[in-house]
Amino acid sequence: MGKLDERVIIVTGGAQGIGRAFAMRFAAEGARVVIADVNGPASEKTAAEIGEAGGEALVAVTDVSDADSADAMARAAIEKWGRIDGLVNNAAYFQRPQVTVGPVEEITPEEWDSVMAVNVRGPFLCCRAVLPYMKERGYGKIVNISSGTFFSGRSTTQYVASKGAVIGMTRTLARETGDFGITVNSIAPGSTASDPERDQSRYEGRVPDRAIKRVERPEDLAGAGVFLMSSDSDFMTGQTMIVDGGAALN
Amino acid sequence: MGRLDDRVIIVTGGAAGIGRAFAGGFVREGAKVVLADINGEQAERSAAELRAEGGEAMALTVDVSDQAQTEMMASETIAGFGKVDGLVNNAAIAIRVKHTRAPLEEIPLDEFDRMLAVNLKGVFLCCRAVLPAMKERGYGKIVNISSGTFFNGRENLVHYVASKGGVIAFTRVLARETGDAGVRVNSIAPGLTASETEEHDIEEFAARVPNRAIKRIEMPEDLVGAGIFFMSAESDFISGQTLVVDGGVAVH
Repeated sequence: MGKLDERVIIVTGGAQGIGRAFAMRFAAEGARVVIADVNGPASEKTAAEIGEAGGEALVAVTDVSDADSADAMARAAIEKWGRIDGLVNNAAYFQRPQVTVGPVEEITPEEWDSVMAVNVRGPFLCCRAVLPYMKERGYGKIVNISSGTFFSGRSTTQYVASKGAVIGMTRTLARETGDFGITVNSIAPGSTASDPERDQSRYEGRVPDRAIKRVERPEDLAGAGVFLMSSDSDFMTGQTMIVDGGAALN
Repeated sequence: MGRLDDRVIIVTGGAAGIGRAFAGGFVREGAKVVLADINGEQAERSAAELRAEGGEAMALTVDVSDQAQTEMMASETIAGFGKVDGLVNNAAIAIRVKHTRAPLEEIPLDEFDRMLAVNLKGVFLCCRAVLPAMKERGYGKIVNISSGTFFNGRENLVHYVASKGGVIAFTRVLARETGDAGVRVNSIAPGLTASETEEHDIEEFAARVPNRAIKRIEMPEDLVGAGIFFMSAESDFISGQTLVVDGGVAVH
């Protein structure tokens, strides 16, 4: 018996990194998972791993910044399983080459727009796509992935602004959807070693700031994800939970 | 198989109300619980109920504002169950204890002192009592119960709200101090919760409902999921945080 038995949960950006860790854990807790990712082959690989572990997964290749694509994602879940219980808005631009790290004068307006399109418009469109189904059933769990950098301000303007917007959206949407039995919360991870191909020393640079002094792994976030997708958090909405080993304190 | 199998957890103020709900949830997840409460008889009745359900539970009479009693609480827990994995600092002068609700000038000084002694120094003393045992084992989970009133500045309760703000500050500092020892410290801030009480009536609970995203009265059971989460390994990379569980009044 899992914490998420029967629940149908969409994880955007679910093919790799943090999204993949969520998808694997949700499936292990009994959920049926939709891997909604722009990277089809990586999505198939994660879905296959879930299947091998005895779980159920569906791939919906999705560009979250595109309204038609987000709508198709929701329809795919409904056609396969008839319901949507949860949505984790995890897909985001967060590192090079999509996100340039630099002073504001060096960030091009084009990059600003593309980061906002994925990181802010993406969650907006995905919520918009799933909410009618959640409202119809009178139940839903939405988690938006923000970032510890919103609290520390230690990153680059276009990225941090997008992650602040996610928290704003979380708060407003929570108030709008409470009457429909829907909870909307946010998780703010610290710098997480989600990309094995990157220089790992960059992740170690954040360790001294933490109460728990080690590198953050995608798996460190899975427990919070399960909690916020489960009925254990049904009276909690509009909140942001920092999961970063105690660097920022909220 | 529960998420708290074999964990030994102390719940202060565990005899009734929110503390009792936590204890029930923890036992269902496999924990052994210690109900530490100033009302020893009620704590014993609640512990007996939990044992009747097949759980392991022990009652202790503890005034959390008394250093010797908090040290007894820790040593009796270790004597009875061999270790301390978790501490929920829930005991407080709150809804179930009579207190003045009035503007600042009308709060009696001795009541202000007592409020801080129980609600803030009590947290300090209980942490002080259990930390050596947690540090020795290199693992521990502490949850301090704050209050949604800290976020909305509820009027006519300056002594209470100040004590609950202190709890959040305390949580943050202790998290940084104890991370290296494997101890995590977090806080839960409930909304006005319908614990059994003579001080508040149903109209008062109902009056808070329109401010919520989830428009119903908050019950002790609404907090149990967050308590289990913070006592379990699921939250092992979370420390120093405050989780508001109030149906979406304060958004934090």
